Amino acid sequence: MNRAKALAGAAFAAPAFALMLALLIGPLLVLLALSVTDYRLGAMAVKLVGLGHYAALFQDEVFQRALRNTFLYVALVLPGAVFGGLGIALLVHARVRTRSFYEVIYFLPVTSTLVAMATVWQFMLHPSLGPVSAVFAALGMAGVDLLNDPSLALGTLAMIGLWQQVGFNMVLFLAGLSAIPRDLYEAAALDGAGGGIDRFLRVTWPLLGPTTMFVTITSTIAAFKVFDTVAVLTKGGPLGSTETLLYVLYLEGFQYFRTGYAAAMTIVLLAFLIILSLLQARVIDRRVHYA
Amino acid sequence: MTTRRTLLASGAALLAAPAISHAQGQVTLDVLFANPSFARFFTPIAEAFTRANPSIRIAFRQPAPNYDEQHQALLRGALTNQLPDVTFPGFNRLPELARTLAPRNQIADLAPMIAAEGDAWKDANFSPRMLALGQVDGTQYGMPFNASSPIAYYNPELVRRAGGDPDSFPKDWDGIVALGGRIKAAVPEAMGVSYYINSFDSDWLWQALVQQGGGRMLNADGSIGFGGPAGQAAMALARRFVTDAGMGLIGADQNRQQFGTGGIGVIFDSPARLGVITGLVGGRFPLRTAPFPITDATNGGVPTGGNAAVILTRDAAKREAAWKYVKYSAGPEAQKVAVEMTGYLPTNQRAAGPEFLGAWYEQNPNARSAAMQADKSLPWEDYGANGPRIHRMQQEILTAVMRGDVAPESGLQRMVQQTGSMMRA
Repeated sequence: MNRAKALAGAAFAAPAFALMLALLIGPLLVLLALSVTDYRLGAMAVKLVGLGHYAALFQDEVFQRALRNTFLYVALVLPGAVFGGLGIALLVHARVRTRSFYEVIYFLPVTSTLVAMATVWQFMLHPSLGPVSAVFAALGMAGVDLLNDPSLALGTLAMIGLWQQVGFNMVLFLAGLSAIPRDLYEAAALDGAGGGIDRFLRVTWPLLGPTTMFVTITSTIAAFKVFDTVAVLTKGGPLGSTETLLYVLYLEGFQYFRTGYAAAMTIVLLAFLIILSLLQARVIDRRVHYA
Repeated sequence: MTTRRTLLASGAALLAAPAISHAQGQVTLDVLFANPSFARFFTPIAEAFTRANPSIRIAFRQPAPNYDEQHQALLRGALTNQLPDVTFPGFNRLPELARTLAPRNQIADLAPMIAAEGDAWKDANFSPRMLALGQVDGTQYGMPFNASSPIAYYNPELVRRAGGDPDSFPKDWDGIVALGGRIKAAVPEAMGVSYYINSFDSDWLWQALVQQGGGRMLNADGSIGFGGPAGQAAMALARRFVTDAGMGLIGADQNRQQFGTGGIGVIFDSPARLGVITGLVGGRFPLRTAPFPITDATNGGVPTGGNAAVILTRDAAKREAAWKYVKYSAGPEAQKVAVEMTGYLPTNQRAAGPEFLGAWYEQNPNARSAAMQADKSLPWEDYGANGPRIHRMQQEILTAVMRGDVAPESGLQRMVQQTGSMMRA
């Protein structure tokens, strides 16, 4: 009986498993295999280079810089994306009649195609034609060029990334807020938690734990994968200040055709994402209260 | 061995007796080109060709978005044996493509077909400099189809406000830098001259600055050639655009937009963008163009962008049909169509004559600048497989020099050294 059940279960899982094998695990194995060869797209002969690419990665200044830029970008985007999303969700949640209006306003950037929006940003930030520089000039900061100054460009991209992510996180937090039972607030009020801050710290924040964990992990991964704004707005420049991991990977794989090297880079990026997600899940999991 | 000989024999027989292939009936050529907007001249040329050769039909594949993606598609096609019969790769990608496909025997040497047409035909239609653009390692793999070399676009109103004469645009770089400085002084919110090698999407404009001074990126033996006086002058000039000609370091698109609104006096770009830039200007001022200033009159030149027709099919009947199509594309009738649509310069020297483009050039003086420097065409030099990577490295050094972070001399030294090590890598 149990055997039959197990077989039936396996049969039901088989299609999904086969798809996973074909679409995820298979390509991953090919990627691993490619990463130890010197394969170039179109090449006739392939040589094994072992871990040579991985060793080269840690000598490669461009890769190192991309790594630093990416971490910096994540560090700039993440706090704003999580706490900004939470803050906006709290404010929007408290609205009664205008709630859906604000939801739409903040969610619009998520629904827009970032590549198309990047073109709009390019105009907005144009050093002599754009409205943003006109505002800066009026504030006495003429000549500040947000996209072409190497010390500002990455921060500018982070702001655009934030603008895009905050709305999505807001929706996730709104869902989390709606799931908190009303009676918990009443019980807390009876127990003497009177003020809004008290209510937030004692009820809302702990109960939003699972949502916050999810938002933090997805936001980290999204920030790690920043590509479209870089490709459209700066192409990694000026002076390589906005070269991120995914962009360098694209250059290596699809512009320079160094497929083997790009494969090694992808493995490293993947490893980073897995480690980060595990770490966050571990750390946050201990503090999350699953109701 | 026997099969190869049989194949060769049958191929020779087909070439010798075109009647046989006609007897086989219709030939369809599978053609891939880059840049979807080019359909507006590829399509009419193909229609005219089929009218002249009813037995050959041209079937275009979905055009590749740009030369790089076309290159990728061709490399993938080589692996899966799904190459088009004829394709039009960018000049900067042609060497890499030929070196990848030649060992796989997937690209045709055009020399025998040109020889079969005779020297008289060759000399009447093509200058040796133009034909050289389609050669890789001494073999003629491509017939130049579209060609362009950088030209100056200028705003005559800004030139006039700076006290200059729009009808006599400076012919040397000192004159251009001085004009830029005067424009900046007269209209402080504008840029005088913008030579955007800091953000251009290839090393084309940088090569132009070296080649016009008589230098070459690579010597004949493949060693680096831009470390000499021409390179030093080019690097110093790059910095002077910022210090003396009122240039700001912004993106290439941002430059074109700002020029279009009347915010830059002079820019340098491809004549193939004449239509785009005219559209950006949109009648705000009477846009003018001028040939690229060339310092060294004997050895100086300009790198040629554009694409060449390449035959990839291995089938003898198709090769014969493909050559007819390639020959027609590089001929004066087809060139007239392509040049009128884009502003490219004709690759065929008969095309500029009065019976083809003469009248059109009379009516479109802005398109004439490119044609005026046709005899200055030099190859767009190629560093080999690591070319795009070398371009990014060079662009970073150029930006640093133009910003003033690095002195021009040490910037050039570093560029020579890093280019060398990346070429060997």
